[in-house]
Amino acid sequence: MLLIMLPLLGAALSGFICGMLGYYVQRYGVTTISFAIAHSALAGAAISFVIGLDTTLFTIFFTIMSTLIIGYLTSKAPIRRELICMGLFSLFNAVAILTLYMSSTNVLSTVQLSTILWGSVLAITLEKMITIVAISIIFLVYVVISKPQIDAILFDQKLAEAEGVNVKLHSTILLLFVGTTIALILRITGGFLVFSLLYNPVASAILLSKRANIQQIIAPILGSTAALAGLLASFTYGLPVGASIALLSSAILITSYTTRMITNYILVRRSTRG
Amino acid sequence: MQPIRREAIRLENVWLTYSGAGKPAIRNINLSIPFGVLAVIKGPNGAGKTTFIETCLGLLKPIKGKVYLLGINTKDKRIIEARRKCSYVPQDFMKPPYEHYTAKKVIEMGLSSNRIITDPLPEYFQHDLKYYAKELNIHDLLDKPIGILSGGQQQKVFIIRALIRRPKLLFLDEPFSSLDRESRIKVVELIANYVRKHGNVSAIIVSHTFNKVEEYADIIVSMNDGVITSVKFLR
Repeated sequence: MLLIMLPLLGAALSGFICGMLGYYVQRYGVTTISFAIAHSALAGAAISFVIGLDTTLFTIFFTIMSTLIIGYLTSKAPIRRELICMGLFSLFNAVAILTLYMSSTNVLSTVQLSTILWGSVLAITLEKMITIVAISIIFLVYVVISKPQIDAILFDQKLAEAEGVNVKLHSTILLLFVGTTIALILRITGGFLVFSLLYNPVASAILLSKRANIQQIIAPILGSTAALAGLLASFTYGLPVGASIALLSSAILITSYTTRMITNYILVRRSTRG
Repeated sequence: MQPIRREAIRLENVWLTYSGAGKPAIRNINLSIPFGVLAVIKGPNGAGKTTFIETCLGLLKPIKGKVYLLGINTKDKRIIEARRKCSYVPQDFMKPPYEHYTAKKVIEMGLSSNRIITDPLPEYFQHDLKYYAKELNIHDLLDKPIGILSGGQQQKVFIIRALIRRPKLLFLDEPFSSLDRESRIKVVELIANYVRKHGNVSAIIVSHTFNKVEEYADIIVSMNDGVITSVKFLR
């Protein structure tokens, strides 16, 4: 029973926290930074794997260091933040691929490598589940305690900054949560598909509701749904779990888009008739 | 040149260029604004007025020169502390119809920079809120989502948010743009009274649409094409 429940709970929880973080990432306007950070997790996992360190711990460490460096670079560099992030995204991908390429044939043929790249239900352990729950609780406590500042940032970031809210600090805290979470769930969805849980649920939520407080509730639910449905599809049809989750979350996004288009069409038709 | 404590703002040979723009948005700005004054910045569109305000707040960093806000260099980490003593009403304030925060919540957010969730609001909050909301005739709109309010009503909410912080320095960027004439006069009177009553605070108003504000000004700064063309001390 535990063998079935653990992956299901793990997937649901991973989808929930990614959907929740994705909402804040989008509202804080740090989507491209989080994208670069997510790829740094892949590079960290590849390095740890090749040099033989604990993958999860080293990936978390590498991602936290990358987050701090990316935060510093994006605040100091005289060019647009998006350009720096895209440059770093390429760099982290190159590091990941080059590290794996230069490793021995034995390494390339292991199951662990395919887990990092494409994901596996076997990566969901009780220990990891507890860590994900702990991170979710810590994040929620942080959100509750800092609610006044977070609300001010969500409402109007520039005004909040002008009034002395430490926007940079709160953005960095958010990105550290994103980095740690991605480092933890990387092996469930795979390094190339982890973003599907971070961005697709919030994109779907935005399409389904214009109200931010509703989006905030919908995004984690959609994240959980995509992860659970993806996992079940993976079990049923023997497909790679990461790709199944990514496909299902994309299907939710397309459905949300279609729903929005149909709703808009009906509203326009009604208003022109009226 | 050392910043003087009595100065609210000091700009020394300040140049600022936006990323990707060839021409500086503001050039060779030298200005000192003391405490206890209401300063008006005027000039046509593109004169650099908004850039000036955002540079004073440290939201934009100059490529050359120094800016001191309440005696603190805007490139210093302590600028966050200085900003907590300032208020800002931005030019682009309009929120979309689906913005769910109520007007009262938006005003309350003005006091959020130092608070955690368990900290109570200051005792004066309810009193000041009631006073300003009544003065600006939006007391019956406080529980409504800000998104459904008109442009003028939203602008009043932002003005109350700025005043309720009891700032040492108040920056208002085109605060009359969506207001009718009666409300414009009321707003400028509220701001002028705030400055006169507290004595050691200043307000800087950017306006190019409401000339009557100059009647209340102690200093009028004219800008054009990124430079200060004249500074008049009236009182």
